[in-house]
Amino acid sequence: MPKVVLQATGLKKSFASPNGPLAVLRAVDLVVHAGESISIRGSSGSGKTTLLQLLGGLETPEGGEVFINQVEQGLVTPRKLLGHGVGFVFQNYQLMPELTALENVVLAAKIIGRSQVEGKARELLQLVGLGDRLRHLPSQLSGGECQRVAIARALINEPAVILADEPTGNLDETTGKEVMKLLLEVVAQRQTALVLVTHSREFAEKASRRLVLAGGVLSSA
Amino acid sequence: MVSILGVGLGVAALLVVQTVMNGFGEEHRLRIRESFGDCVVIAKSPIEGPDVLIARLKADPEVISASAYTEGPALARRGAFSGVAFVRGTDPLATDQPVRQYVVAGSFDGLDDGRVILGIGLARTLRVAVGDKIEVWSPVMAEQAEKGKAPLPASLEVCAIVRTGFTEVDDRAAIIPLRRFRELWSLGERAHGVTLRLKDPANAVATAARLNVGKAGLNFIPWQEIKKNFLEAIRFEKTMLFFLMFIITLVASFSIGSTLFSAVIRRTREVGVLVALGAQRWHLVGLFGVQGLLIGALGTALGFLLTWGILYFREGILDLINSLFGNGDMVANVYQFSKVPLHYDAMDFVVAAAFTLIVTTVAGLVPALWAAGRKPSEAMRDA
Ligand SMILES: Nc1ncnc2c1ncn2[C@@H]1O[C@H](COP(=O)(O)OP(=O)(O)OP(=O)(O)O)[C@@H](O)[C@H]1O
Ligand SMILES: [Mg+2]
Repeated sequence: MPKVVLQATGLKKSFASPNGPLAVLRAVDLVVHAGESISIRGSSGSGKTTLLQLLGGLETPEGGEVFINQVEQGLVTPRKLLGHGVGFVFQNYQLMPELTALENVVLAAKIIGRSQVEGKARELLQLVGLGDRLRHLPSQLSGGECQRVAIARALINEPAVILADEPTGNLDETTGKEVMKLLLEVVAQRQTALVLVTHSREFAEKASRRLVLAGGVLSSA
Repeated sequence: MVSILGVGLGVAALLVVQTVMNGFGEEHRLRIRESFGDCVVIAKSPIEGPDVLIARLKADPEVISASAYTEGPALARRGAFSGVAFVRGTDPLATDQPVRQYVVAGSFDGLDDGRVILGIGLARTLRVAVGDKIEVWSPVMAEQAEKGKAPLPASLEVCAIVRTGFTEVDDRAAIIPLRRFRELWSLGERAHGVTLRLKDPANAVATAARLNVGKAGLNFIPWQEIKKNFLEAIRFEKTMLFFLMFIITLVASFSIGSTLFSAVIRRTREVGVLVALGAQRWHLVGLFGVQGLLIGALGTALGFLLTWGILYFREGILDLINSLFGNGDMVANVYQFSKVPLHYDAMDFVVAAAFTLIVTTVAGLVPALWAAGRKPSEAMRDA
């Protein structure tokens, strides 16, 4: 059995609403092993984005715990590992508009204090097929290309897990397929675990494990 | 860019006012020294045989010159017009009579026992011009009249008219030779005081104190003390203006603050992403604080430049204002300075620069800290 890279137990989260608190996640358990890919589907508003934010440490759960198994550091809460533990890929890319593709990737490494990363960033952009677009700004790139930059950025700090929230949501069908294919390839090649939130049954099928979020709990599809 | 201009204008306003105020202060200080001397020696009663004292004082290395003077009120009259004259008796041959440079009509050198120099205000009161004759009645003459003698007033010809800029001097001053004063006041060889010119007027307080040692009965008053209230008023005015300008700069800084704040809010999403990528608080603080500091630094530089420009062209600017509002030449009329005086004080510049840099940096930091304190998930939703 490969080692556990991410472990969540009993996650709870609710949001205030006019009709009292709205429980989005009731009791979510999830264990992610190194190198595996997990797809999560669920209707809109079921709490998929919320779950990824809890897993990545962008939000704190009301109940339950999340641990990331980081080399050398052991199990740590993701909040302390922002930028190290997980890599994010967002639906709307979230690139810095005034930085070039290369600079966007380099920034992610520099921000956590790593230096001498330009070569690595070039390599990763090469890997996602943008070797000749290093100096382009996000506004000069197509949506699919922007998402490739985002994937390269998510990989540069060698996270144990990549959390991808509808990475193809803003892309047309063909581009979406290409990007998804690339994402699955690179994580498989680098033995990085992937948690993929998607609406598409087709993409969800490609994951090694398929889960559904409904009624605030996670279950097998 | 607009915020840099805002800072620049604030700094310039502050510095222009301070520099001009300093200029007025300096000019007034200079005039006080020129009208009264760098140091005045007085006593409870008229100084007997002042020549001995003068000779001794002149021997001091700090003293450039010393001369006796007498002073007292008298009634000046010409025909139906009369006024109180504050008569001063001085040595007409003394070369360092500062009043010389304030002569606006006639000539100082014409002063002799039959002549008088009048302040411009007094001359107007008496309706006299150079060449006219006035009568002067001293208090001694009143005493004589009491004793039954019929005194004759002194008849003096106006040989020059002076304008020092001090209304109280110009409205009352009458200058006659020391010898003539002694005669009219029956003073004999005595004098009311001695004025000194010093090598280092700025150090007059210390020098006066030193010269005073061992001269009981005499009182050495440095020029700083002569018009103390007036000088303090000027300083107070400067402090008040600094305070007002401080508020102006504060207002300018608030506009910078809001500019930076809206810049940070516009970038809320980016700030959220940076946090999600692992940015620490100090990264963001650095990012936006440096931005504020930069605006402050450029604004201060611009302010210095503007200050210099405004002050360089101050006469032209004043002329324009005067012609627009038809005030006439205010500076010359009220202050009797021919030019707007300036005095650059390095301290003012340092204070203005430091203050501006601090305020702008804080104005940049506050919104940055606010942004960094938000949850990245919310920040990213705001997109
Ligand atoms: N910050 C918040 N404040 C209040 N309610 C929130 C907040 N974030 C999410 N919610 C609510 O929680 C629920 C789950 O939101 P979430 O974004 O996780 O859904 P999702 O499954 O990702 O939906 P979609 O498929 O449309 O992206 C929604 O009803 C949403 O309105
Ligand atoms: Mg979502």
